[in-house]
Amino acid sequence: MALWMEKDSEPLTESEKADLDAIAALKESAAIELKEKGNQYVKMGKKHYSDAIDCYTRAINQKVLSDSENSVLFANRAHVNLMLGNYRRALTDAEEAIKLCPSNIKAFYRAAKASLSLNLLAKAQSHCRNGLQLDPNNEELKKLGQQIDLKKAEQDKHEAEVSKAVAEAKELVLAIENRGLKIGKAMFRELTGLKKPVLDKNNILHWPVLLLYAEVMSSDFIEDFCETDMFSVHLDMMFADDQPLPWDDKSNYKREFIELYYEAGSGVCLSRAKLLHSLLEGTAASQQESAGDEEKDAVHGSNHVNTGAPKWVKVNERSTLHDVLKDPNFIIPGIPVFYVVSKRSSFYGKFKAGKWTPPSI
Amino acid sequence: MATELEELIGFLSSPSPQITKVAVDIVRGLTGSDDGLQSLTKYAKTVLPSLSRLLAGPKEVSEPSAEALVNLSQNSNLAAEMVQLGMIKTAMEVLYKPECTIACLLVMLLVNLTQLDAGSASLLQTDDDKMHGLYVMKLVRSFCRTTHESHDDPFEHVGSILVNISKQQAGRKLLLDPKRGLLKQIIRQFDSNSSLRRKGVFGTLHNCCFEAESQLQNLLLISEFLWPALLLPVAGPKLYSEQDTSKMPLELGTALSIEREPVTDAEIRVQALEAIYLIVLQEAGRRAFWSVNGPRIIQVGYEDEQDPKVMEAYEQLGSLLIQSGGTEEPSSESTNQ
Repeated sequence: MALWMEKDSEPLTESEKADLDAIAALKESAAIELKEKGNQYVKMGKKHYSDAIDCYTRAINQKVLSDSENSVLFANRAHVNLMLGNYRRALTDAEEAIKLCPSNIKAFYRAAKASLSLNLLAKAQSHCRNGLQLDPNNEELKKLGQQIDLKKAEQDKHEAEVSKAVAEAKELVLAIENRGLKIGKAMFRELTGLKKPVLDKNNILHWPVLLLYAEVMSSDFIEDFCETDMFSVHLDMMFADDQPLPWDDKSNYKREFIELYYEAGSGVCLSRAKLLHSLLEGTAASQQESAGDEEKDAVHGSNHVNTGAPKWVKVNERSTLHDVLKDPNFIIPGIPVFYVVSKRSSFYGKFKAGKWTPPSI
Repeated sequence: MATELEELIGFLSSPSPQITKVAVDIVRGLTGSDDGLQSLTKYAKTVLPSLSRLLAGPKEVSEPSAEALVNLSQNSNLAAEMVQLGMIKTAMEVLYKPECTIACLLVMLLVNLTQLDAGSASLLQTDDDKMHGLYVMKLVRSFCRTTHESHDDPFEHVGSILVNISKQQAGRKLLLDPKRGLLKQIIRQFDSNSSLRRKGVFGTLHNCCFEAESQLQNLLLISEFLWPALLLPVAGPKLYSEQDTSKMPLELGTALSIEREPVTDAEIRVQALEAIYLIVLQEAGRRAFWSVNGPRIIQVGYEDEQDPKVMEAYEQLGSLLIQSGGTEEPSSESTNQ
């Protein structure tokens, strides 16, 4: 009986050959029947999609059909997988279909569609183009191609924004390191938001600066304080005679009475990676992990918890912002914060004696 | 048949110290005259290495040898030969041996050699990754630690070396590097009593300002030293009013409210003005200059200037300041919260 013949046995006799042919023909018609059944299942709707897939799979596994017929099977299975949302499987099926029959337009379409759904945009573009090469007038492929191109353009734009944000943040980190500045965790976030320093085209830093009126815990903001500017210039503008502070009923906070202080030696200096991360907050690249950057934990900067009175350092108004920021004892809390007090106010004595501490937030 | 000169040069390498001493004295004498220099040039390949070796010897031979080399190095072909022979390295090694007695001569030799690009490059050690900049750092340290106070000021000429190397971009980059802080140290010598030192400082600073376009921050971030150095020489002799000085940083304002010695060297005044010009060409430089009340100083200083070349430099700077806009106040908005 032909079915039990060993592979490398004697050459076939006429009747054995006839048996083999008959078996092959059986298999072939079985496969074709399975394909038809699969197609019918598809027409019957969603509930029968897995049955359809089953039929196509069995048809393929007969391994008797020609390449182009198998290509159709794979393409059909891809189609059903697409509808089921099995994009990964749909892609492998469609690509197999293409391999078996490089002129199978439907396969190209389905491969492109599956790639698009998987966000493999370059691959989607490639399949689409190859398909259009075969049939330049194919409306479906053209439409799909436009969709893919649009999405790719968006993706490219987003990636460019991310790279730009990362590059800018890295330049900022470098500029800060070159100046020997120490940045610590941001304080008073509810007042400062996500404001950051900016490098201008001459590589000079511009800082947003927070001024806190310690006596009443009110605040003011200097949006753009260039590091080469002197304090006196900004203070002259902010405390001009014609702009009294609304809460200053005793008129203590006039230009000639105010003094600026910063807190020295408090807080911990951020590592380079943490600094980069904080500079990326609120940008396109805020999800980036700073992978590949060496975790250089700051060796300087005291791990000093604030026990005892805060140490206040007076700002010389005729110095530049850079001169003040580069004090190794000044750990800048995200952005520079200066405390404004008035020599004339009764609060002054208490402040200078270290009896007032900024609220910890 | 060896000529007399060849024989003489041969004696430089003699094992007998008396012979070398006599030979090197004669050679030194020859380098003092044009004819002698001419003849020696032909034998550069033998005389230069021999003299170089004698630098490491006792003073009686190292001194005349150094003098001879200084004279010979004024010829640029010979200087080029010397650089190729590694003379920069030899000079630096001998210079920094303890108890070096020929320091001044060696520094002068380096001045001559760094006139050539190859010499500057060799001193900058641009090819050497690890040691890059080490020679220059040593020289700057020596320049800044010794002053003219001692009778001999062997490192007085280092300023001229710095002027030479700052003609090359690699030199300017090194000097401006904030991590090394070389320019900051050098500027401090701007009011030295030695005119040679002052010339060196201003020449170097002037050259470094050619990097203003790409390295403005490295200039502006040492502004507490930079502005006094650049502005005091061109501020004129008058005492400035409180109104003017209150707008300047403390040190600058104080210096301008008291009597001071005028800077008589016109070249220094021109270099200072040109350096300021280069900085003011950049937007941030302009802003920083306005913030220290610089334009007011230029205005007042110009009133008493009589040297035509310097006047021209004032005028150029003045018109640049006018062109680039009037009073540049920093624009900051404040939001009252």
